[in-house]
Amino acid sequence: MSGLAFLSPSRCAPGVELASPLRRALAGADPERVRDLSLTPVLELRGELASDALPVEGELVRLTPRRAFLFPGGDAADAARRLRAAGVLAYDASGALAGLEIAGERVMRRLTDLDLDRLPAAGPVAGVWALVLPGGDGRYRVFVHQELGHYVAEAVLDALAGVEANP
Amino acid sequence: MRDVRLSPQPHELLDRSRRVVFTYAGAEVAGYEGDTIGSALFASGRRVFSRSFKYHRPRGLLCCTGHCPNCLMTVDGVPNVRVCVEPIREGAVVEPQNVWGSAERDALGVVDKVAGPFTPVGFYYRTMIRPRRLWPLYEKALRSLAGLGKLSEHAGHTRRYDVEHRRARVLVVGGGAAGRTAAEAAAALGPGVVLVDEGPRLRGARLEGVEVLAPARALGIWEGNLVPVDCGTVLYRFRAERIVVAAGALDQPLLFPGNDLVGVMLPTGARRLLRDFALRPGTRAVVLAADDRDLELAEELREAGVAVPRVVDLRSEPVAGIAAQGARGRLRRVLLDGQAVDCDLLVASAGRQPAYALLAQAGARIEYDAEKGVFVPTGLPQGVEAVGAVTGEGCACVHPLRTPATAGGKCFVCVCEDVTTKDVKRAIAEGFDSLELAKRYTTVTMGPCQGKLCQLASNRLYAQATGASEAAVGTTTARPPWAPVELGLLAGREHTPARRTSIHFRHEEAGATMMWAGPWRRPYAYSDRPEEEVRAVHEGLGIIDVSTLGKLLVEGPQAAELLERLYPNRFSDLRPGRIRYGVLTTDGGRIMDDGTVARLADDLYYVTTTSTGADSVAAWFEWWNAVWGYAAEIVNVTGALAAVNLAGPRAREALQGLTETDVSAEAFRYLDAKELEVAGVPCLALRIGFVGELGYELHVPSPAGEHLWDALLAAGARPFGLEPQRVLRLEKAHIIVGQDTDSESNLLSAGLGWLPRLEKEDFVGKLALTHLAEREERERLVGFRMEDRVVPPEGAQVVIDGRPAGRVTSARWSEAVGAAIGLAWVPPERAEEGTRFEIRVDRRTLGARVAHGPFYDKAGERMRA
Repeated sequence: MSGLAFLSPSRCAPGVELASPLRRALAGADPERVRDLSLTPVLELRGELASDALPVEGELVRLTPRRAFLFPGGDAADAARRLRAAGVLAYDASGALAGLEIAGERVMRRLTDLDLDRLPAAGPVAGVWALVLPGGDGRYRVFVHQELGHYVAEAVLDALAGVEANP
Repeated sequence: MRDVRLSPQPHELLDRSRRVVFTYAGAEVAGYEGDTIGSALFASGRRVFSRSFKYHRPRGLLCCTGHCPNCLMTVDGVPNVRVCVEPIREGAVVEPQNVWGSAERDALGVVDKVAGPFTPVGFYYRTMIRPRRLWPLYEKALRSLAGLGKLSEHAGHTRRYDVEHRRARVLVVGGGAAGRTAAEAAAALGPGVVLVDEGPRLRGARLEGVEVLAPARALGIWEGNLVPVDCGTVLYRFRAERIVVAAGALDQPLLFPGNDLVGVMLPTGARRLLRDFALRPGTRAVVLAADDRDLELAEELREAGVAVPRVVDLRSEPVAGIAAQGARGRLRRVLLDGQAVDCDLLVASAGRQPAYALLAQAGARIEYDAEKGVFVPTGLPQGVEAVGAVTGEGCACVHPLRTPATAGGKCFVCVCEDVTTKDVKRAIAEGFDSLELAKRYTTVTMGPCQGKLCQLASNRLYAQATGASEAAVGTTTARPPWAPVELGLLAGREHTPARRTSIHFRHEEAGATMMWAGPWRRPYAYSDRPEEEVRAVHEGLGIIDVSTLGKLLVEGPQAAELLERLYPNRFSDLRPGRIRYGVLTTDGGRIMDDGTVARLADDLYYVTTTSTGADSVAAWFEWWNAVWGYAAEIVNVTGALAAVNLAGPRAREALQGLTETDVSAEAFRYLDAKELEVAGVPCLALRIGFVGELGYELHVPSPAGEHLWDALLAAGARPFGLEPQRVLRLEKAHIIVGQDTDSESNLLSAGLGWLPRLEKEDFVGKLALTHLAEREERERLVGFRMEDRVVPPEGAQVVIDGRPAGRVTSARWSEAVGAAIGLAWVPPERAEEGTRFEIRVDRRTLGARVAHGPFYDKAGERMRA
């Protein structure tokens, strides 16, 4: 019965407006310092995962030997279908995560004790679980559970203000 | 008074072109940029900086390094600020603390003169224990007479504090010569070297390849080489691969009568005033030197125009008896073996003791070096090194006790807590014969200096009084923080993780009153009349955001076997497209969580949990699956999906208007699960009814939550909040796990005995449930209807024959039922339909009768319509 379409925002009909959980928190924020990456296509993969055997290209972030996130670049629902056809358990997690791109190591250091020289990593950011990926040019991509996205965005904005107030 | 500010000195910290003005006790005081508040006050002629903790004795500058308590003041509302190291700032408001009157004229100074003999160490343990009921009064009096600064209960945030996580390859603590050399050597081997120093001299200093933090203070060393560093408004939490401690050594005071008089200073104090702030610390000085540095200081004092009539090198001149005498708390003369020397400054030191506290916290052993007369660190833990004076290099101490047998006056071992040599000896006489015990009784080493100035002195006093060796007496435990730290800095920023559904802001926009429901923010109701929202569900169409429900996918060839062993009821025989209610129990048979299980395909189940149970249920599933090793994956999709419960007699009509799929009663039956498109959104629809009316739970991708909500509102639905939902579910007597049950509740006593299938081979909690079924029940959860219209509060006592016999877990007024209804735990013999019992409400007992089953739509026809 199920192709798990109900997990996929990309399977919504044209005209359905998809809302980022950070839309309100980041309204008015300087996009050079913090940018909304929510709705980035991402899959949660389960099972024996050999990255060279995956039929979908993308950025694979392994959390455990049997669990990973895959950022496929293209449509997540399509990627999930192809992976499932190849026997990989793939779940569209595009709606599950809120994402932020944060500029500046100082800000990140005020949010997390993760070793920023050893990314990607999963651990606490602003006190909640997060996936942290390097973004290049001193930028960091942070993904958290979408229901905590607004809270984390507020914490990020507060940390940005803190770097200015207490450099 | 003669001007004490010297002409510009070669290494002074002052910028004399910039004048800074602040107020002290209401009067304007001026200093220069680079001054501390303490140095500016000293330059202005102030000598009495504080009153002591217990006796209210006048105290003046002693160490000028932020270690002793003598300069504690309230600055801009912040109590206990050490003004000797607090930088001067324009407009600061500085006030003395722990005084009645002023620091110079403190009415409480009478305590020293009159009450001294009656307030020896621990006096309140002996004199204020009876009558016991008066202790609160005694305590209040003691706290108002003694102590340090007071924190205003109404004070807001005085400044912003931040916490920053840092990593370093090498962290050097201490910026003296040894620390700088170590930092430069480490930097030559690679990047990632940080040097931390307490003093202001290294502020802005540049060391090749070294990041310098100054003034900054390492507060302690924790496991994993975690070193918090206090930089004032930022707390750096360093994780260092290697730590080099170069904390140096600390001047130790001599013990003699009058050793706390204003004008008695440690060499560091006099040296800082001279070198850093170009201040003459006195006009006529006696120097009691314990090393060559102190002798050099005597020369510096002379060069600064201070008369120095007597310099005593304690290493070679055996002065057995020293006594300082003064008037109104200020030094006037010193008696050296009976010989009087007039002076207003006595620079006195017993020598320098390694500042080993950080090393001791890291795990180093602290041993007594009898030759040097100091304690030194040995056996350093891996990854921690020590260099310079902290190792004992260049350190030595003479015996600090120089009390003449016949001299009067108080001789302080601990200036922080006003503990005298007499107090320590009394403690020993009372049986507190170990230093650790005495610490707790006398509070020696427990004050603001944390033993920096009294550890060695109390050790040697103990050794002398008990006849034990200094090594046997040992030291007290060194605990972080190394120096006092503002609580605001430790706390950092205050953030409370709040979970918000993807529809959250629609509720706020609709004017809902939001409330905490576990970690979630949820709408309580959308108006102040929740009963109207209840009526809308019964009579028309309501929607409630239930995105907070836990949602798990269980997938794999053995998914059915896994669920079959996790739940007491059956799921392997559930047909795809159908839903069944499930309750999870612990291995002890207690109710853990509940929800629905929908089979979406042969090897795929969709499990919902309570709103607060998602994480714990997911972890529970994972744990058991790891034990049993089934071929099944558990994926928590709670956040991925928004969920809306559409309920009411018009629910089907509204849903049909938003989907092309046939949702007629025949095509979409009660307890069916269907995948369809609603308002253009892919949706998993579950036909279930927690609120007792025809209803559908619509689960859609979170980003489409607002779109679906808007579409349902446009279809005529009225939103309802948690409070109306609680009324509606109570009308159906549906339990809420965690509210109507607790950690002792089991399926049988909660009236869910129909659910477990004890004939199954095994499931979690089967053994316990089997045993419970054989035993007599202690209590049972029943529905009740009040005899009058009073709604008892949740938690109200059930009373039978005047004795407590149970409790109310839920109660509400139901308009549809026309009565106050609820759920309560009662003794099993009172659980029969119609049995009367009483509930205590506001000191009254009100009658209620047991009413089994739903109060509304008993046959469930509306739900199954």
